Amino acid sequence: MIQVISKSISENKKRLIDKFNNTSDFVTYEFQNLSKIKMMICYIEGFIDRNILDRDILESLILNLKNRKDIREFIMTSKINEVYAIDEVVNEILYGKAVLLVEGEKIGYALELNKWDKRAVEQPQSESVVRGPKEGFIEDISVNKVLLRRKIRNNNLVFEDLRLGKQTQTTVSLAYIRGIVNEEVLKELKTRLDRIDTDAILESADIEELIEENPKSLIETVTNTEKPDIVAAKILEGRIAIFIDGTPHVLIVPRLFIEGIMSSEDYYIRSYFSSFLRILRTIALLITIYLPGAFVALQLYHQEMIPTVLLISAAGAREGVPLPVTVEVLLMIITLELTKESGLRLPKNVGSTVSIVGTLVLGQAAVQAGLVSALTVILISITALSEFIIPQLVHGIVIYRLIVTLCGGFFGVFGVTCAFLIITMQIVSLESFGVPFAWPIAPINKTGLKDTFIRVHRKHLIYRPKAIAKRNVRRRIPPKGE
Amino acid sequence: MRNKIAISLFYIIVCICLTGCYNARELDQLGISLIMGIDIEDGKILLTAEIVDPAYTTESSSTIQGSSVKYVQGSGNTVLEALRDITLKFDRRIYGAHNKVLIFGEEVAKLGLVSHIDELFRDKEQRESSYILIAKGAKAYEVMGITNGLETIPANYILDLIQNVKYNPKAVVVSIIDYLRHYYHEGHHPVAGVIEKIKKMEIDELGESTGTKNYELTIIGSAIFKKDKLRGYLNGNDTKAVNFILGHIERSIITFPTPTNVFEEGQSEIGKQQLSSVIVIKSKVKNDVEMEGDRLILKTKVDLRTSLGEFNGKIDLTKEENLNKIAEACSKTAEINIKSAVKKVQKEYGVDIFGFGIEFHRKYPKQWEKIKDNWDEIFAEADFEIEVKTHIIRTGLINNPPIVE
Repeated sequence: MIQVISKSISENKKRLIDKFNNTSDFVTYEFQNLSKIKMMICYIEGFIDRNILDRDILESLILNLKNRKDIREFIMTSKINEVYAIDEVVNEILYGKAVLLVEGEKIGYALELNKWDKRAVEQPQSESVVRGPKEGFIEDISVNKVLLRRKIRNNNLVFEDLRLGKQTQTTVSLAYIRGIVNEEVLKELKTRLDRIDTDAILESADIEELIEENPKSLIETVTNTEKPDIVAAKILEGRIAIFIDGTPHVLIVPRLFIEGIMSSEDYYIRSYFSSFLRILRTIALLITIYLPGAFVALQLYHQEMIPTVLLISAAGAREGVPLPVTVEVLLMIITLELTKESGLRLPKNVGSTVSIVGTLVLGQAAVQAGLVSALTVILISITALSEFIIPQLVHGIVIYRLIVTLCGGFFGVFGVTCAFLIITMQIVSLESFGVPFAWPIAPINKTGLKDTFIRVHRKHLIYRPKAIAKRNVRRRIPPKGE
Repeated sequence: MRNKIAISLFYIIVCICLTGCYNARELDQLGISLIMGIDIEDGKILLTAEIVDPAYTTESSSTIQGSSVKYVQGSGNTVLEALRDITLKFDRRIYGAHNKVLIFGEEVAKLGLVSHIDELFRDKEQRESSYILIAKGAKAYEVMGITNGLETIPANYILDLIQNVKYNPKAVVVSIIDYLRHYYHEGHHPVAGVIEKIKKMEIDELGESTGTKNYELTIIGSAIFKKDKLRGYLNGNDTKAVNFILGHIERSIITFPTPTNVFEEGQSEIGKQQLSSVIVIKSKVKNDVEMEGDRLILKTKVDLRTSLGEFNGKIDLTKEENLNKIAEACSKTAEINIKSAVKKVQKEYGVDIFGFGIEFHRKYPKQWEKIKDNWDEIFAEADFEIEVKTHIIRTGLINNPPIVE
């Protein structure tokens, strides 16, 4: 049963306080103006701008309001909603509005006065760039929307708001460009979001895991970013961004595997260099997953495949190392993860200590003590370096590397090959919102390949990714003769 | 469906190619052998292996020669027995996959290589690409351990010598696979490389006399086999002629007397032969046989593209006809050398190491069936015709020598 607003203010006040379980930050302020009209304003402390409330609303209401029927003329604000039910009042208050109730009226006026403390827009630490916009999203969704709108000043940029999370009632907003967006993906995304039945949406991951096709996959099929320019570029390719209130991370679907080796800077630097960087990242991806496994396999089973001179120095390095090579490499991989993880969570000044301990103690001392061979240390360092240049794929990489190393240790190159096949097949079989994850490599697409391992000159990037933007696929129509 | 077949085929191929790795071997359990030497002593096979000591790579005192390797020996009635004999004397298993060179003592070579050393060809660890050398007039272990190069490991020294043959083809480069191919070929007897210990010219450095005998190794020459039995050796120049016919002379040089009749102002130094050299850039060899009645003629056509490497004489090299005369002189010298080498092989050893038998087989398959058992005698009696054509296509950085104005 819907509870409508009652004509009596005290009755309303009682009900509201009751609704809010007598919480301490809920403020109700009853007052009478000069014409003896009784009114009440209620809001949550800290959610609204009290200055504006006092100056622009209360002052004029108290001094000038003669007849309560003319109340709309005296509220000096640009956004007023009229509400009729108590539940509506509660909702409006929860989203940062002040609700004005008048004695003898069954209408409440929700005034948009919200103001709360938020972080300044600054460079995101996780995605720093040398060239390109440096601003990043913050935790407030309305600011984030503005950041995107400032990039795309287009009336076709649409935000669609939803409320998700039974307890948290988090605002989630889908952003896309009407006319470019893939409607099927949009429809699918909406059904999946509708299906979400969860208590709380505190971070983008809460949604990410629930809308993915393959939650068991080691590699995620949803992009997340903190940078408005990336979101703008992606939705201009026909993708959909999901803004979530309370987190600076914006999700983008659908995702392609190849995006893992891309960086926004690839588009801001010369195409030759960005092509070089992408090939480098591809090689790094292979190195960081397969190098420890291949090294173990070759050292244990296929000594004849190592060049003689390298074999002799490898054997020299291994002289006196007490552990089998598989254990040694696994140990170093785990040490690497320990160093990474400990450095990540600690405050910055302690973090530098961790790096010194990690490099000096584990690198130098372990070799000198003869616990680990120098070659292994070099190898794991290369692996780590390669991992750090493809930050988007890190989560999958670490697990894959462990699997490959074990395969190499137990089954030799045969095991590594099998692991390679299985990993590749798994990645190729993934889909992200109906779009093949490995597109444009598998299935192959010639125009799509122009922006994968290489990035050709902008002049030739005529088409949006065809698997994503189904209809409006041309970015531009090149003049004849180009 | 086709995709499925392709994928399953791929799996099967991968499985077949890469299985067999069930037993892991840690690097510190292996004795990496770089050279193996095989001898026969007292009717038993004596196997000597040069095992690299990997610890030398981590030590700073690696500059001391000889400390980088250890020599182990084992004896037995078969090669395998000799290899197993080592295990009770040496702490690590001999790992032969990195064997670069196999050295055979002269005695083994005379008794027959294939029949005695089958194990080395059968073992999955051994590489078919390792080189075969015959220790000329010595036991294999007598030439091992001598190093005169800059390499710390003696095996690498020998390996580098073999790789240098391309600059000076007075030796042959024969790997196990080459040797076996010729061994199984009818009408083509194998040759093998030779390694010889020679006394080094003593250079008195800083007036200090070392006192000890200094030796170095050379691989000049080649060993001639009849099937797998050593017949004898060829010297360096004859080996070069053999390489001519086998077509392995790119980057080598040919030295010949500078033609005298093109001197512009008479012969300045009468009686003193002036010599010039060309560097072979490319060679094309065509071997052929022909029956003329009862007589068999062996024919070789060599087409050389060369660059003038050194020139002594007073000739205007800018004129083409002069260059042609030089080329002719070069061809003539090459022809004489090759002819004498072939004659030597025919008369002294009577084995066809040039593969003319294969040419004969190809051309006269029916007659071959009748004569293949005594091809070597027919080869020894056959006439030999050689035709060398030289083209000088480059003259180096300068045209005329400085003495020609």
